Amino acid sequence: MASGKSPLGHFSILYFAAASTFTGKSTEHLPAPVLARNLFTSLEQLYPGIVDKVLSSCAVTVNLEYIDLDGEDTPQLELMIKEGDEVAIIPPVSSG
Amino acid sequence: MASISVIETIRKQIASCESQLRDLRQQLAEAEHQHQQREQERMRQDSSIDPLTHDMSYGIHDDFRSEVFAALSHTEEDYSAPKRWPLDMSEYKRYGRQLILSGIGLQGQLRLKNASVLVIGVGGLGCPAAAYLVGAGVGTIGLVDGDIVEESNLHRQILHSTSRVGMSKVDSARVFLSSLNPNVAVVPHISRLAPESAISVVESYDMVLDCTDTPASRYLISDTCVLLGKPLISASALKLEGQLMTLNNPPLPPGDSRGGPCYRCIFPKPPPPESVLSCGDGGILGPVVGVMGVLQALEAIKVLTKDPGTLAPEHVNPEPPTLLIFNGYGNPMFRSIRLRTRKPRCAACSSQASITSEALNSGSLDYVQFCGSVSPVDALSANERISVDNYAKLRSHINPFTGMEPSKDSHILVDVREKVQFGLCSLEGSVNIPFSKVVSTSLNMSNVQTSGPQEPGWVSELKGIPDRPIFVVCRLGNDSQITVKKMKELGLDQGGQRWIGDIKGGLKAWREKVEPDFPDY
Repeated sequence: MASGKSPLGHFSILYFAAASTFTGKSTEHLPAPVLARNLFTSLEQLYPGIVDKVLSSCAVTVNLEYIDLDGEDTPQLELMIKEGDEVAIIPPVSSG
Repeated sequence: MASISVIETIRKQIASCESQLRDLRQQLAEAEHQHQQREQERMRQDSSIDPLTHDMSYGIHDDFRSEVFAALSHTEEDYSAPKRWPLDMSEYKRYGRQLILSGIGLQGQLRLKNASVLVIGVGGLGCPAAAYLVGAGVGTIGLVDGDIVEESNLHRQILHSTSRVGMSKVDSARVFLSSLNPNVAVVPHISRLAPESAISVVESYDMVLDCTDTPASRYLISDTCVLLGKPLISASALKLEGQLMTLNNPPLPPGDSRGGPCYRCIFPKPPPPESVLSCGDGGILGPVVGVMGVLQALEAIKVLTKDPGTLAPEHVNPEPPTLLIFNGYGNPMFRSIRLRTRKPRCAACSSQASITSEALNSGSLDYVQFCGSVSPVDALSANERISVDNYAKLRSHINPFTGMEPSKDSHILVDVREKVQFGLCSLEGSVNIPFSKVVSTSLNMSNVQTSGPQEPGWVSELKGIPDRPIFVVCRLGNDSQITVKKMKELGLDQGGQRWIGDIKGGLKAWREKVEPDFPDY
């Protein structure tokens, strides 16, 4: 996984499990800043279908901290994802 | 054919019975040995009374003597009730290496001995988890699984063995575990956990390990643990990745925000059913799932040996729960994510919880429906499909549709399995176009012009040979149908001029009906 510093004006995003399969990537850099509420919309533009097929059931973290995007009134929807932040998309894995 | 498989089955059964018998003999020998040791110890204690008996036998009045003896024997009973050492001699030896750790010690070992843990799922996670818990001396281990051991389990499910293929996973695991540590009571529950019986199965245990393999069972187990106030160690693994969480810890009642979050707090929505891969479809590397199962055992030991004083409300949540993500081929391999606290409107653990014991027991909670299920694909009409028998004839004899003699170039056979699987085995002459490539091909790229600049290579290549019919095959016969539809939407059928269809039942059917030697992986 090519993590590490994101270039100026970007944040890094990590894709796990089904998110990695869908995007064909484990990580990339996207333009910052982005409001957490708009994260899924910008990913949908890059990867049509990803919201329904993957993101709707995923956990999302910013800098290794879980953020709650479920529901319309959660305060973390207003969180600003800034330059240099690390976002992770974590789909539930159920097999074992 | 049939008789060979019968012989094979009987052979396997004999082998498995023999191994069970061997194991029982060993257990018997161990039990007899222990019994003998205990007897000898008792004899030594008895004989130590001798000098006293001798002294008391001379010059003392009978009545007085019997009174003294009664008193002595009474105190002796009192004396022996609280044993001198809280663990058996053999336990000090067996657990010595972990007893001397400051985090365990005598108190920790006694907590393990008095604990009972339910391991749900005795597969890739449950096997290593149960092995380490039994090894560590957890007093009682319950095992829940309704499956039987299959050959394709053995590369990762380390409690089972080649000779026990065909035995129930729970029985097979018991053979291993009871020979590993006869001090542990292993309780079998040979069935899949069902909503109606979940509470009665889980109730008597102190803690639960979720080692299952479906979204439905994950929600069911989490809900049950919340209702019963049991901490839950949940792990999962697929391909090269795994996840681990300690949930509902501390296991405070629903509505108490100081309790640990449950599975629904972290993943309120189940993944879309068509995106859910089993280990059979997605693949799994043994050590990857093994690491996750071992970590479950570690977390369980940590929770079980913790001083109960620290679970009091004033000590609650010194550190928030974490989700550990493992990627066997990643760098770093581990990432620890700080999780949320209980979700204020969680359906299971909040004050507004809608999930109750009554609903669970009555069976009115349909977890399978909640998570959705995939029905077999039925996307094509009969004239867009060909059976494996007819396709085999077409390859060797006469085309049933055109009556033409076969020739190498009579048709195109497209195999849509992923590249790795195609590399394992394929039908001669087939071309590989992985399903993921087919699915990600967007329609507007190709439909507009005959060969747009963005058109993927596979589309233009097939367009370049417009006169040959296309047969599509996959592993089981689902992806092939979706591919046929997509090819037609992309205009590859030349407006109906060219026949495109799928081979019904895929390579599985091909192996079953045409070529038994085709590998079954």
